[in-house]
Amino acid sequence: MNKNLHIEAMGLQLQRQTRRNFLSAGAVGLGGIWLAGQASAAGSVKTVPKHAPGNPLSPLAPPLPAKAKRVIFLHMVGAPSQLELFDYKPDLLKLDGKDCPQEFLAGKRFAFIQGTPKMLGPQYPFKQHGESGTWVSDRLPEFSKQVDKVCFIKTMQTDQFNHGPAELMVHTGNSRMGSPSIGSWVTWGLGTENEDLPGFIVLFSGGRQPRAGQALWGAGMLPSIYQGVQCRSKGDPVLNISNPKEVSRDSRRALLDSLTRLNEQSYEDYGDPETLTRISQYEMAFRMQMAVPEAMDITKEPAHVLEMYGAKPGEESFANNCLLARRLAQQGVRYIQLFDWGWDSHGADKNEAINEGFKGKCSQIDRPMAALLKDLEEHGLLEDTLVVWSGEFGRTPMRENRGGTEMKFVGRDHNPSAFTMWMAGAGVKPGFTFGETDPIGYTAAENPVHLRDLHATLLHLLGFDPLGLSVSFQGLDQRLTGVLPSRIIHEILA
Amino acid sequence: MITQSHLYTPSLMKPSHRLRTCVRSTILGVCCTLLSVSGAFAADAEKRALPANVTFNEHIRPLLTTRCTACHGGVQQAGDVSFVYLESVLPPEGWIIEPGNPDASVLIERITSTDADTVMPPPEHGKPLSEYEVALFKKWIQDGVKWTNHWSFEVPKETSLPSVKQTDWPRQRIDHFVLSELERRELAPADDEAPHRWLRRVTLDLIGLPPTPEELETFLRDLEGAGNSEAAYERVVDRLLSSPRYGERWASVWLDQIRYADSKGLGLDGRRNAWKYRDWVINALNQDMPFDQFTIKQLAGDLLPDATIDDHVATAANRLTQSNEEGGTDDEEFRVAAVLDRVSTTFQTWQGLTIGCVQCHSHPYDPVTHEEYYQLVAFFNNTADCDLDEEWPVVKAPLDPNDSELATRLDREIAALRSEIWQKEFEQLQAPSSWKPLVNLTASTNNATKVKVESKETHDEFHTDGTVSQGTDFVLEAPLLGDVRKMTAIRVTAMPLDPERAVADSEWGFVWSEVKASLITPGQQTPQPVKIDRLIVDEPEPFHDPQESLNGKSNRGFSAYTRIHYPRQAALVFAEPIDVPEGTRLRVELKHRVISLGAFPLVTRRGHLAVSENEAFTQLVVGEEIKTQREQLSKLRGERNKIASTDIPVMRERPEHLSRPTHLFIRGLFLTKDKQVKANVPAIFAPLPSDEPVDRLAFAMWLVSAQNPLTARVTVNRLWARLFGIGLVATEEDFGSSGEPPSHPALLDDLAWRFHHQMGMSTKSLLRELVLSRTYRQSSRNRPDVAASDPANRWLARGPRQRLSAEEVRDMALSVSGLLSDKQFGPPVHPPIPEGVWRPFMAADKWDTPGTDNADRYRRSIYTYTKRSIPYPMFAAFDAPSREFCAPRRSPSNTPVQALMSLNDQTFVECSAGLSKRMKDAGSSIEDQIAYGFYLVTSRKPRGAEMQELLKLYHASTAATANDPATSSVGLAQIASLLLNLDESLTK
Repeated sequence: MNKNLHIEAMGLQLQRQTRRNFLSAGAVGLGGIWLAGQASAAGSVKTVPKHAPGNPLSPLAPPLPAKAKRVIFLHMVGAPSQLELFDYKPDLLKLDGKDCPQEFLAGKRFAFIQGTPKMLGPQYPFKQHGESGTWVSDRLPEFSKQVDKVCFIKTMQTDQFNHGPAELMVHTGNSRMGSPSIGSWVTWGLGTENEDLPGFIVLFSGGRQPRAGQALWGAGMLPSIYQGVQCRSKGDPVLNISNPKEVSRDSRRALLDSLTRLNEQSYEDYGDPETLTRISQYEMAFRMQMAVPEAMDITKEPAHVLEMYGAKPGEESFANNCLLARRLAQQGVRYIQLFDWGWDSHGADKNEAINEGFKGKCSQIDRPMAALLKDLEEHGLLEDTLVVWSGEFGRTPMRENRGGTEMKFVGRDHNPSAFTMWMAGAGVKPGFTFGETDPIGYTAAENPVHLRDLHATLLHLLGFDPLGLSVSFQGLDQRLTGVLPSRIIHEILA
Repeated sequence: MITQSHLYTPSLMKPSHRLRTCVRSTILGVCCTLLSVSGAFAADAEKRALPANVTFNEHIRPLLTTRCTACHGGVQQAGDVSFVYLESVLPPEGWIIEPGNPDASVLIERITSTDADTVMPPPEHGKPLSEYEVALFKKWIQDGVKWTNHWSFEVPKETSLPSVKQTDWPRQRIDHFVLSELERRELAPADDEAPHRWLRRVTLDLIGLPPTPEELETFLRDLEGAGNSEAAYERVVDRLLSSPRYGERWASVWLDQIRYADSKGLGLDGRRNAWKYRDWVINALNQDMPFDQFTIKQLAGDLLPDATIDDHVATAANRLTQSNEEGGTDDEEFRVAAVLDRVSTTFQTWQGLTIGCVQCHSHPYDPVTHEEYYQLVAFFNNTADCDLDEEWPVVKAPLDPNDSELATRLDREIAALRSEIWQKEFEQLQAPSSWKPLVNLTASTNNATKVKVESKETHDEFHTDGTVSQGTDFVLEAPLLGDVRKMTAIRVTAMPLDPERAVADSEWGFVWSEVKASLITPGQQTPQPVKIDRLIVDEPEPFHDPQESLNGKSNRGFSAYTRIHYPRQAALVFAEPIDVPEGTRLRVELKHRVISLGAFPLVTRRGHLAVSENEAFTQLVVGEEIKTQREQLSKLRGERNKIASTDIPVMRERPEHLSRPTHLFIRGLFLTKDKQVKANVPAIFAPLPSDEPVDRLAFAMWLVSAQNPLTARVTVNRLWARLFGIGLVATEEDFGSSGEPPSHPALLDDLAWRFHHQMGMSTKSLLRELVLSRTYRQSSRNRPDVAASDPANRWLARGPRQRLSAEEVRDMALSVSGLLSDKQFGPPVHPPIPEGVWRPFMAADKWDTPGTDNADRYRRSIYTYTKRSIPYPMFAAFDAPSREFCAPRRSPSNTPVQALMSLNDQTFVECSAGLSKRMKDAGSSIEDQIAYGFYLVTSRKPRGAEMQELLKLYHASTAATANDPATSSVGLAQIASLLLNLDESLTK
């Protein structure tokens, strides 16, 4: 080849290697990410919800086809041990009591483990269940019968290993307070189907609220109407929902009628559209005063349903909350968030021990979870309701040795590298398990799923482009999945 | 034959850089998808004629920002082309634009290309540029490529008044700018607002409360009486600006910026004692402290010469970051998070810039690079606080402000004396000639902690090996060799396990709960204890008193608490020299009993011993002068302790020899550090003075200097926005290139320039001018001719009308019902809270609501306890931020939860009762009573139809309860409740 031809050939080659050619050639490598990122910059379906005037919660069709219409999110606060519930690790049993190999410790940060801890085998026996042959421990006998409805992800991962920040990661995608929660994003994007009830309801059990408090159901930079509304299965179901005791419903009606007429005059005077919104919000408050207590009243449920859940009216319990979740789903509430406190099984005391308090926690959730899945199915709601169950991280295959010493009770430390989450219902594969952890359940061996991927998948199921549901704030398009890459977990979609 | 330039052009890339660029793009590209792309400027561009002057900021930068910088920006510089920096565009370094010659410019070639492979932007990234846009670029290049900074980075200049046609309309300087713009848009300004409505608006705006009937009547009389009505308006404004209520209203605006809360945030969200800072803000505002002083004291009050206690309290501004007390959390992680938050909050609050993203990498549109960000971090990275539960360092702020002067004087004397004593001690401790290092060391522990000894050049060093258990005691022994016959002090050096690494990546520190020494002389079996009289240490103001190491009953003592960066030293000094027979062995015992956050034993990891024969140490114990000084110090401390005070967290620098270096973090992660940086300000701004120390004080002064282009603009814009509902720059939080440009650029600059150069940065002067302006005094009635074209009232063809802020909603109700307490200042209060809300993570944290006979139940809202994880429900419902981070502005909402609050909440129930009582006392006829209530909440009398409506409701309500004398007041309470919920009551 002569010299000129050679130069020409090089030039052609360079020409071919334009940005685009480079990218298509590199689609299997890093180039794929770049293309995906760029395409979404220009091509993501940016969702700017346009609600009806004066009604920021008016129901909207999702921008993309959706499988799920609503979500019930069950958060086991404190992080339940996946190794005693769903992630069966016979090899770990063989290592029980042995020193943890150094390679598992190098470069790791723990909350409480010091130096070289001992390995801790699964503390309860496991069996396979259902046609799917899913492994579940003997702690959840009722739930085990429902596994063929459930899709498990064994390889969940998060960035945080302390409760407060990790809880925030689960619900806001950000480890610090101040970002919108999933429920806020979803009600902002879709509104709600029953305008007499809040679109985003939060329920508690277990005696305490999660550490991060209202930041977990806060609206962040979205308008405050999209924040979660705390409802209680005991006492006044929503703050100030009851009239003062000397005010009857009729006299409130009379007050509102007069107020509306005077405010209409105000609108005549000043022409401020906010005045009209205010009039409609007062009317909605009045309707909520009827609808919320009714929705929250489980005494009218038939005895066999109460029995199925193990619900007892007047109590604050996970069982009552699961039943309420079904009732609220039935009435078109968009996002129902349950928090059950008491899963932080460090072994620091009896309540926190895997060989003690953990058993009680399991029996508190076993029947209600199973009942919720059955009940939703019987009501035809499971097909468009997505149920999600999770902690904020997992627990270590090592036994906790707080302060470097062996502890009286058996416990496990925080592990952000592997935890089990399950989903059921709308759009996810039933009787399916995704992802596999290593032989000791310490980290993902294949198919790791970050919380960001879960968020992306959730939004996808609800009919959003996860990158498109965003709001401009402080110079950035803020979104649930944050700034790092995330992916929709197509493998688990039905 | 292919020329060199031919080779370059096809891909807009220098071949030599191609591979590197591709790889970098692949990694970073994803982050760029977050660029907020506003297409506002591209719309209906087609038909426009080319402007006579194509200016960079108006015409070119928006195109670059929206169409180019996502790929050719600061992070991602595809083909090494960046449109963020001038030098990468123009020759000699740049190669895509030939000034004056559009046809030779690669840029034009690429944006006009018809080849899908070469056209920019690439088809999958967006439409090609329109002909108009291409023409803009061509003209800009033809005219010589004038590149100017984004508007907000140019220092505001003195502005001349624009001309107006309706010359009799303006009352204040700002009115000329507003009217000129209205005339340009052919919009007429609105009529003046009725006086009573202006009074209600200005009273709510300046003091956060509605006017009282007396104030209203005085004003109306004054207007009628005085020939010069303008003076009557001025008198009102001057009265309001000098009211103590003024600071209580405007403090909440500032506390939103500075993320003030009475709790710590993450983890347990325990109580934080910071209320003295809140009071400082209220006072500073009431005194109209110039904004530069206000700034300097908050950012660097501790570094001011002769700082007062108030100056120290002001620095709590930066101690309001979230800290984490959750068990098993890494103090360093949350300390770093707090430092980064200080940088973000400062830039957000003073500069209207969000620079948090630069934590990970440079952003395409940000004027601050990755490295510059960490240079800013360095200003804040050396304070002593480190995410401790104890909130140290603190200043003891006197509860009674009258004690401040005395306390300040005592604190100064104590500090001077303590420093003088410490300097002497430290000098001796540091003198290398003082010390004989020990060898042949043996070390053992009382538990599972393993310890090893290794020989160094001059001494033997012990270090732990593997897990460190809690409750570890060390026994260290070494022979006192050679010519040591007398011993005056023992030096124990405590080091990080990895001393080199720890400078940047600190390790968990240590606390010596107890330290003992003894001698094993030849022939004796049992060691003979020697009495240590004093510890001399290397830290001037340690958190724990090092002498506690000599107190067996206390677990505290000499410490690196909770982190260690450098080797730390303490000398154990004796009251008199100790004779050392030949062959004597020295034994030192170190006990460690402190465990951090329930997880991390604070145990010495490495160290070595030395002894001294130098009697200078003995003199440091028994010397007359130093003894007198210590006695004086303890006397002064005794006096100071008599002043009842409360501990307020403050900023304080670590001493130079223990200072923390600042490093770049790779991708924003504090565990992966890159090169070290020194404090400096970003290059886009004027530099710091070259002859001053580079510290927080220099930074604070730089921030408020006349050369800073943003501080005055951002500040006047914030005040403007609180009055008018929307800023001249609507994106108050973003003055950068992705924020909105100002609606009235000249007005903003005029205000900013005058705020700095003519008003002495007086907030009250600025507010006075604004509320007396004709612009502000317009009627807020929405006119058909502007309702649709200007719904947000950007052009100011009418007066402002907004819902009251959360605090104002409650304070208004308390005020009109006669319940409001005018008590100022003090610890946070706990007004009624709906049942079931207060469920703090720590059960011991109680919300005790005072009874109805206690004024603390009805204080101004600014005094309400602010817990981050449990915001006060009424404030949360009315859009108050929960104060985790800087909140530049509140986003207003209108919700049913608000209706339930103002109808049913306990506070409103009590307010309705209070208001109905006032109504009842106001007259004998029901009409009079209703009219008075209406007057109280709206500052006007009800019109006929309104009165009829209220009477109808009153009669219906009383009829319904007529047979029940116990509820005879129900009718009026019903009216009162309605009045508090009127749109007009809840709106200014």
